[in-house]
Amino acid sequence: MAIDMKRTFLGLAAAGALALGTGAPPAHAQDGVIRIGVTLRMVVENGLKYGQMAKEELEAVNAAGGINGKKIEVILLDDECKPDKGIANVNRFIHQNKVHLVMGSTCSSVSLPMVDVTAKEEVPQIVPHSTNTNVTKKGSAWVFRTSVSERFYAAVHAKYLAENAGKKVAYLYTNDGAAIGFANDYMAYMKRTYSAEPVYQAQMQETDLDFRAHLLKIKSVGADVLAIGGQLDAIARISQQALEVGIPSKVRRVAASAASNAPVPELAGDAVVGLIYAAAFNCKDERPVAQAFVKMVQEKYKVRCPDHDFSQAYETAQIVKQALTAAKLGLTDATLKADRLAIRDALANVKNFTGLASGPINFCADPTPQCRDGNRTGILVEYTKGGKDFDTKVLARVSFEPDFGL
Amino acid sequence: MLLEVRNLTKSFGGFVAVANVDLDIREGEVRGIIGPNGSGKSTLFNLISGVYKPDAGARVTFDGTDITGHESHAIARRGIARTFQMLRIFQGMSVIENMLVGHHAMIRYGTAAAVIGARKVWHEERRVRAEMLEMLAFIGLADYADMPAGELSGGQRRLLALGRAMAAKPKLLMLDEPGAGLSPTNVDVLMEAVRALQQRFGLTVIIIEHILKLVMETCGTVSVLEHGEKIAEGTPAQIKDDHRVIEAYLGKEMRDDQVRAYLRSA
Amino acid sequence: MTADSAPLPIAAGVRARLAQVHPIVPWLLVLLALLPLPLVLPNAYTQYVVNVMAINVILAVGLNIVKGFAGQVTVGHIALMAIGAYASAVLSTKLGLPFWAAMPAAMLVAAAAGAMVGIPSLRLEGAYLALATLGLAESVRIFISGTEWLGAAIGFEGIPPPYLGPWALDSHYAYYYVAMPLALLGLYFSFSILRSDIGRAFKSIREDALAAAASGVNVPKYKVIAFVISALYAGCAGSLQAHMAPGFLHPNNYTITEMITLLLMVVFGGIGHIWGGVIGAILVTIIDDLTRDYYEYRMMMFGAVIVLVVIFMPRGLGGIIDDFLVRRRFNVLRGARQTPRTDVHAA
Repeated sequence: MAIDMKRTFLGLAAAGALALGTGAPPAHAQDGVIRIGVTLRMVVENGLKYGQMAKEELEAVNAAGGINGKKIEVILLDDECKPDKGIANVNRFIHQNKVHLVMGSTCSSVSLPMVDVTAKEEVPQIVPHSTNTNVTKKGSAWVFRTSVSERFYAAVHAKYLAENAGKKVAYLYTNDGAAIGFANDYMAYMKRTYSAEPVYQAQMQETDLDFRAHLLKIKSVGADVLAIGGQLDAIARISQQALEVGIPSKVRRVAASAASNAPVPELAGDAVVGLIYAAAFNCKDERPVAQAFVKMVQEKYKVRCPDHDFSQAYETAQIVKQALTAAKLGLTDATLKADRLAIRDALANVKNFTGLASGPINFCADPTPQCRDGNRTGILVEYTKGGKDFDTKVLARVSFEPDFGL
Repeated sequence: MLLEVRNLTKSFGGFVAVANVDLDIREGEVRGIIGPNGSGKSTLFNLISGVYKPDAGARVTFDGTDITGHESHAIARRGIARTFQMLRIFQGMSVIENMLVGHHAMIRYGTAAAVIGARKVWHEERRVRAEMLEMLAFIGLADYADMPAGELSGGQRRLLALGRAMAAKPKLLMLDEPGAGLSPTNVDVLMEAVRALQQRFGLTVIIIEHILKLVMETCGTVSVLEHGEKIAEGTPAQIKDDHRVIEAYLGKEMRDDQVRAYLRSA
Repeated sequence: MTADSAPLPIAAGVRARLAQVHPIVPWLLVLLALLPLPLVLPNAYTQYVVNVMAINVILAVGLNIVKGFAGQVTVGHIALMAIGAYASAVLSTKLGLPFWAAMPAAMLVAAAAGAMVGIPSLRLEGAYLALATLGLAESVRIFISGTEWLGAAIGFEGIPPPYLGPWALDSHYAYYYVAMPLALLGLYFSFSILRSDIGRAFKSIREDALAAAASGVNVPKYKVIAFVISALYAGCAGSLQAHMAPGFLHPNNYTITEMITLLLMVVFGGIGHIWGGVIGAILVTIIDDLTRDYYEYRMMMFGAVIVLVVIFMPRGLGGIIDDFLVRRRFNVLRGARQTPRTDVHAA
């Protein structure tokens, strides 16, 4: 038994020392600095660039003397689209870095639990990318979203396609949150508005590679529309295989918003021609503010046609800066709670922010989706050319009332 | 009879490894089983100890119970312990743990008691540990009790394999080539240990051996296998004079007097 | 492994007195010593990391039982955790069971699943067993992500924290007093098991299943017991994960990556070393936390750690500790007795 004791205590000592070691880094918060924690999915190709751009855009104010003389410090972490990583990151931001504001995340399944954490700890959170309707539906007074909610996206393409293609829709989607949301919302809209049932429906694995068996069946049921839900590689693969099994081009193909990511046309090549998707932004947008942004991304981040994840990360940073300018901040340990509240209220006061989004962004104070889904305009985009030098055109632009789809 | 084997047969595909072997082992006997390489000696052990299942028609009775085709561990629990030609000691465990695994069937507490660390587990562990240390002292390995078995010398390993089998307090001990790889002096030491164990615990022993001298000096009765069949059985003296044994062992080219001379010198 | 029962060269009198103490006593002392830990931690995030550490310790110690001690190559352990986590979540949200009832129940559900994962081990070994368990694990994840009432790919939300009377243990500090004692209890049980006949049966199967059977060890039974015990640990860890704030579960947390991280804990600590799971879980949790600052190179760093450990310390940190202790004991032995008593040597 002697050995038990001795070894146990050795182990204990080691464990204690290590545990303390983790907390040791200089977590002491510096006074007079606005701290912002950014967590995004940065494992995919452009993910790192979204994060870097958000950080650089926010910290750009420091060169010009900061916001009202206060510097911004951004702590950027990757959550790999994994909820436990996102939860760890947001906990670190709040308790260790003592941030004033959290920005994140990309995947809805990560943003959803983060909303619970920021609500409980009373830290404002601004969501740049997630589209799941529930993100703003939980009743948190601390969450804001600059991305377009699924409840709007679904109607953008559903209405257009019902009027221009037909009501017989075949659904093929993978089992990730955004894809399921896309398919369910589309189905619900078709049922509600036109009493149209799906002519075919199949859910696949995110990791599946071969969709041909399903596509052959879809070909035989004579659908008007093929709805493709998935992350970018699934969308690219399904598009390609739809062409291979000979689904005719008169069957319109529509995909979840991940179709806007550049790897889709690059992977799928000309198979994407005719594929349409709803998005928040398109690089062909001719407004000067959009063209200036596209030029900036081309030069700084070497991306020819920035997708809406770029524009939303950028826009979120601009909105944050505007709100911070309006907020009265003490920026000491003692005022941390008050500062977080002030930033929240300043965000809720953002009205008619006009930037890259296709319509104005509006927030208000109520903890409801009507108030916190700031961006209510979607556009419908069609690929006109695939490959590295892909091209697109905007088919339609639709703005919604705040309580649409609730 | 402690062990009765009737009509034991085992074929692998078309190859018959053991064919219609009958064997009767009396309580307290030391039986030797000899035969050239590939004559089916080890297969016979594997069949009795449950490593292989015998072909239909066989019957193995131990201590009045039919154990034909039983699982290895169930046969061990009935009181048959064995060693292996390749020893198969648990090299990553300590010497005393090897003994304790050998003693496994005699340990009386359940999984739940072990998990919560019940007091009876604690007492039982101390008791069996003391017992196994005593046994290790008997075979001269007490000093190495806490050493990993893999660090023992070859001879010590052989002793440990024997000790592990003995730790089960078996009624029947089956030794598979216990003397393989040992120098003549060490064979003597080993046989001394076997004899001492047999007398002290009233064991019944079956020995498979290549070293004829070892078998001839230790065993009361010797059975001879060739091509899976039992070709002879008797006292060492009878076996030495058996023509078929001599043929089986040494080929037909030798003259009888040469063979006898060889066996005597062995 | 053998070092666990080693006598230390300390005064015989002290040893005799300590031998009268029940083995749980040191653990109670450790529990007492760890109680004030939250007071010295710099912030709630560190506390959160320590809680994750405790959960990982439970998980890794459990995996060590089936993998390290019984020698069964399983890569399905993470799925058992998922089963425990989701079982606990369902029992507490849909049936309204409190954490204290949901957790044991979830452990039983995981144990039943563990027995099923264990069944292939009766026929398969090594890489084949690994593949079979991997298949089972993946199908669990795929089942969850396709099942609406488990939250599918959106995630399972709103799992309540444990309550102590009217108090919700939903802060990281409060949760520590749930997770840490359970981790210690798990460790104590693991020590009890591995010092007992059951533990020796496990190890004998790992070393040589044929010889184990010949010694009377019911090999299939003990294989299944090992899988079931380790599944109980995984179920406990899963339940703790489910009820930890903010009470959210998602199938993405139980992928191959998580399984590799878990294996790394056991390999890093030392497969089959009783402290291996603990050391590994603590170190890997810390590495995992620290490397998140270097997100660009994180995966590379993780890969490098695995490769380096496998090449330079295949038996992990625990193996190094063992070697040290064994060598010391050798020297003590050699000093005490110049010549070994037995004179049997190989020819």
